[in-house]
Amino acid sequence: MELMNNVKIKSKNLNVYYGEKQALFDVNLDLNEKEVTALIGPSGCGKSTFIRCINRMNDVIDICKVSGNIEIDGVEINDKNLDVVSLRERVGMVFQKPNPFPKSIYDNISYGPKIHGKGETKSELDEIVENSLKKAALWEEVKDRLDEPGTGLSGGQQQRLCIARAISVNPEVILMDEPCSALDPIATAKIEELIDELKKTYTIVIVTHSMAQAVRVSQKTGFFHLGKLIEVGKTEKIFKNPDNKMTQDYITGRFG
Amino acid sequence: MTKEERLKKRHSAEKRFRFYGLASIFVALLFVLILVHNIFSKGSSAFMKTAINVEVFFDQELLEIKNGATEDQILEADFYDITIESLLKVFPAQDLDQENQLIDLFTTDAEIEIKRAFLENNNLIGKKINLEITASDDIDQLHKGNYPRDLPEDRRRISDFQLIIYDNLVENKKIIKNFNNYFFKNGDSRDPELAGIGGALIGSFYSIIICLLLAFPVAVLASIYLEEFAPKNKITDFIEININNLAAVPSIVYGLLALQILLATIQLPRSTPLVAGITLALMTLPRIIIPCRASLKAVPPSIREGALAVGASKFQSVFHHVVPLALPGTLSGTIIGLAQALGETAPLILIGMVAFVVDIPSTPIDPSSSLPVQVYLWSESAERGFVEKTSATIMMLLSFLIVMNFLAVYLRQKFEKRWN
Repeated sequence: MELMNNVKIKSKNLNVYYGEKQALFDVNLDLNEKEVTALIGPSGCGKSTFIRCINRMNDVIDICKVSGNIEIDGVEINDKNLDVVSLRERVGMVFQKPNPFPKSIYDNISYGPKIHGKGETKSELDEIVENSLKKAALWEEVKDRLDEPGTGLSGGQQQRLCIARAISVNPEVILMDEPCSALDPIATAKIEELIDELKKTYTIVIVTHSMAQAVRVSQKTGFFHLGKLIEVGKTEKIFKNPDNKMTQDYITGRFG
Repeated sequence: MTKEERLKKRHSAEKRFRFYGLASIFVALLFVLILVHNIFSKGSSAFMKTAINVEVFFDQELLEIKNGATEDQILEADFYDITIESLLKVFPAQDLDQENQLIDLFTTDAEIEIKRAFLENNNLIGKKINLEITASDDIDQLHKGNYPRDLPEDRRRISDFQLIIYDNLVENKKIIKNFNNYFFKNGDSRDPELAGIGGALIGSFYSIIICLLLAFPVAVLASIYLEEFAPKNKITDFIEININNLAAVPSIVYGLLALQILLATIQLPRSTPLVAGITLALMTLPRIIIPCRASLKAVPPSIREGALAVGASKFQSVFHHVVPLALPGTLSGTIIGLAQALGETAPLILIGMVAFVVDIPSTPIDPSSSLPVQVYLWSESAERGFVEKTSATIMMLLSFLIVMNFLAVYLRQKFEKRWN
C-alpha cells in the first residue's frame, strides 16, 4: 500500500502484571491514525489487556500493575498524574458484550456529552444524539423511539448503540474489544461496514477472534501470543506472507 | 444394574424429592395456619367492646352547674353523683352491697364518659338522654362468651346477683356491642376495658422513624463506600467480617449497650422512643448494610465499565448508574430491616420501655411503650380481658409487618422489571 498514516499511539516496553502473573511482555506497538488496527491471537494472549492500557481501564482492576510507556500524540498517558477522565474522553471503548445503560436510548447517548459539559442546551444535545446515532448507522432504526430503553434493542442494535455512545463524546480513538463476538453474522456485517466508515474520522483498534474479520476491516494487524507481540505489519502481509512461523501456524488454524 | 433399572431409580428419586418438598411446605403452612387461627380467634373480639344502655338524667341539683357553662367549669364539676344515680336506676338493688355490685358492672371511667357526653352538648341540664356506658371487663368477657358462668359463685369474679342483672339487661336488649375505639385511642390501663395500644402505636412509630433516619443513610453510604470505593485489603475484609458478625449479635446485647451508653453515660431520658430508635438503629445497621451491599454487588460490572469508558469519574459511574440500579434492592433490604426492628422486644425492655405508660407520647422524648413490648406486658397480666388484647396487638403488629414486607417485594419487582 501507499504511505502509512501518522503514528497516533505508541507503546514502548509495555509490561502488565496481574498480581504475580505477567500478562504482557515488553510490547512495542505503533498504531496509526485514521486506520483500523486488528489485534489477533489465542484467548488469554494479552490483546484485550493491551487495549485496556490505552484508556487506562486496567486501573479498575486492583491487582493490575502497568509499567512502560504509552504515548498518544507523543504525550505519555501511563502517568499517575494524568486525569483518566479526560483521557477516556479522547479514547472511547466498545466492549465484547453490548452494555447499554438501563436507560432510554436518548439518555444512553447524551450521558457522555452531559458529564463532559458538551451539550449545554437541549437542542445541542439533540443534535449530538442524532449525529452519533447517524454515524453509528442506527438513527433510521430508532429515531421514533428514542425514549425507549436501550436494553430493549436487539443485540446488534445494542452494540451499535454502544458505538454511538462512544462516538458521542467525539473521541480521537475507539477501542473495540471483540465487538462482534456476541452477534450474529448479519449484525456483524453491519458493524464491520460501520467500522469501515468510522475509520475516516477515528483511529480504531479492534481485538478480534475472527481472522476473516481482521482481514476485512483492518489495515494493520498485530499477532499476540502468551503476552508477547509476535508479529505486526500490514494486514495483507500478515495473512499472506507472515515472517514468523507461529503467526503462520495461527492464521492457518494449526493452534489457538 | 441395567439401563432400565437405573432409569427407574432416577425417576423414583425425583418423585421422592418432590414428595418431601411438598410435605415440608405443607407442614410449614400448617403451623402458620395454626398460629394465625389461634391469634385471630383470641384477638378478633378485642376490636369490639360491650356497653350498657343507661338513661342519664342531668339533674341541676346534683350537678351544680348551669346550661352554657364554660368548658373549664364542666371539667371541674363533679359528675359522680349523677353517675351513681343513673347507674343505680338500671336495676333495683336492695342494699348497699347490691348497689356496689351493680356499679361494678360498669367501667371505672363511667363518670368520665358521662362528662364527655355532656361536654359535646352542654344544653343537657334537666334533660334525660340514653348513653352507652362501657361495661366492666368481666361483663365484657361474659358477653363475648369468654367467661365460665357455670363455676360455683365463690370461684367467680361475677356474683350471682350480677348475673341476674346481666341476664335482665340482655333480655331488655340493653347490652350492646360496639366498635372498641378505646383499643386504638387509649394508652395502657390497669382496667382491660380501657386499655389500648394508642401509646404503643405512637411509640413504635416514633422509634421506627428515628431508626430509619439514623440507619438508612449510614447503612447506604457505608455499603456504597465498602462495595465501590474501599481498597480491597485486610482492613476491608476485617470490617466485612465484623459487619456480618454484628448482624448475628443477639438483640439483647444492643439493649445492654444502649443501657450503658445512652442511658447511664449520656443520660438520655429513659423509656423513650428516642433511645429506642437509636438502639434499634444500631441493631438494624448491619442488617441493612448486608442486603445493600448484595444489591450493589448484583449490578453487572459491565455497567460500571460502560460509564467509565465514556469518561465518567468513579463517583459519577457509581452515583449515576450503579446506585440507581441497586436502589430497589437497597430499599427492600431497608424495609425488611425496619420490619425486624419493629418487632424487636428484648433491647426495648432493657432501656425501660417496659414501663407502665398511660399517657400517649406527644414527642419522641416522652416515655412510651411500643407494640411488641405491649404484647409482652399484657401477656403477663392475669385479667381475661388482656388475653384478647394481647392477641389483637399481635394482629396489629403482624399486619404492619406484612404490609412492610409486601411493600419491599413490590418495590423490588416494580423497579427491577422496568428495564428487563
